[in-house]
Amino acid sequence: MAHLLSMIDTRPQFEPPQPPEPSLPPTKSINASSKSALLVENDESLLNFLRRSLKDEGYAVRTASSSEEGLRLYRDCAPFNVVLIDYCVPQSNGVEIDYCVLQTNGIELAMAIRDINPSQGIIIAAFDYQNSGEVPRPRELMHIPLLIDISKFQLRSLLEKIDVDRAIEALTPSELLRLQQFAAFRVRGLGRAARGRTGEDLLAEALLGTLIGAEVTGKGRHWNKDVDFVQHLTGAMRSISSCWKRQFKEKEAYLISELPLHDVEEQRDSLLENVASGDPAADQCLIEKDERDRVLTIFKADPEATQVLHGLLGSLRKNEIMSSYRLDEKKYAAAMKRIRVKLLGRRNGGGRGEKHGR
Amino acid sequence: MADKKNHDEHLERITNQLAESVLGLSDEAIIAETTETGADPEQEAERTRLVLRQASKALDNVNKRLSNLGHTINPNYWWPGPGEYHNNCRSCGSLVSLTTATGEMQGDAFDAPCTESGQYAIRRREASGK
Repeated sequence: MAHLLSMIDTRPQFEPPQPPEPSLPPTKSINASSKSALLVENDESLLNFLRRSLKDEGYAVRTASSSEEGLRLYRDCAPFNVVLIDYCVPQSNGVEIDYCVLQTNGIELAMAIRDINPSQGIIIAAFDYQNSGEVPRPRELMHIPLLIDISKFQLRSLLEKIDVDRAIEALTPSELLRLQQFAAFRVRGLGRAARGRTGEDLLAEALLGTLIGAEVTGKGRHWNKDVDFVQHLTGAMRSISSCWKRQFKEKEAYLISELPLHDVEEQRDSLLENVASGDPAADQCLIEKDERDRVLTIFKADPEATQVLHGLLGSLRKNEIMSSYRLDEKKYAAAMKRIRVKLLGRRNGGGRGEKHGR
Repeated sequence: MADKKNHDEHLERITNQLAESVLGLSDEAIIAETTETGADPEQEAERTRLVLRQASKALDNVNKRLSNLGHTINPNYWWPGPGEYHNNCRSCGSLVSLTTATGEMQGDAFDAPCTESGQYAIRRREASGK
């Protein structure tokens, strides 16, 4: 292990060993549930690095520097959510602990640390115990490692993914329905800009953006665990759908600018006119006007719903709509409900997963 | 021209407000509304969970498939394109693309094993206790 220690010390991302840090205060949401990790590693530098990384993600970490100690901790304190084991900790072979881990239900991630690549940082072999169907016997397992570069971001992304997967499973039916309907309405509002995408596509992209955001914090849609997961996903969907709309408009404006505009008097193309326009194309306007009129027609026989729709068209807020049309809270809520049900019902009538903006 | 822009925004304005209003509904109300649309709330909820699970699995699949082919990507170097994320094998430079909506994997990296993966091979170590 001494040569491994010297390799680690040369890596800029590893800070010098530090004394154990105090436990982080629990955060809201998923972190509020206790998450525990067992770390078996005799390399002090690596141990500190991994412990810090795990603590940063809200894990209560138990550490051992030998296999026997690790096994004892495992027996005394299991179950753990995450187990990280050095493949060659003294006194035993890490595989034995792997085997114990394999027997346990509820483990979310277990890894055996295999080797360190001096040019890349630490490379470990990781076994995903969640996918037990893909996990053969432990010894065979050692020959089909999923290579993980356990630079800090990678470990963070693995831990984040556990949190995201856990949050998905924890979603209640009503939360899932809210997400589904939110996505459906956002995509419907895109009109042609949806380009055939559905609410499900929007939701999937929000989730994937979250996972990649865990890895690319600056570019992705990283989930801040202080924010409720549903709130995070709806925020991501708002952002993605706005982005789709913007991209569609930019592309369309570009295409319009590419149309050769003929100058009748000069008998040549007018360069002045050949400039990208931010205005939507005439056919798009007609389609969207038709769609808007269609929505209004649906509620022709429902004066309160029509009033609410006109209020929404006028960008009025709830209170403004209520006072403008003299609707009380109950009538406003009932009208909104009728609008939602009718529009979603029509969507259902056209088949789930209906494509928009074709 | 202002009218044109209004037409463009009218529908979006309505549906976005409807989307926001869904978030304020109580558990009972959202389940009741779903039932009224003619759908089974439980089935719809599970279908939505499946969409999320599949999206999560898509990234796993990319990592596993790349790993099997010996490619190593830097997770910090994903860059977004329209409807896709891209990366490169940091050994051989092959392109990796992941379509966000479908989880579809594309790019040279999935066509052939990494030609430079030897330098990243794991050296099996003897357990120090052995």
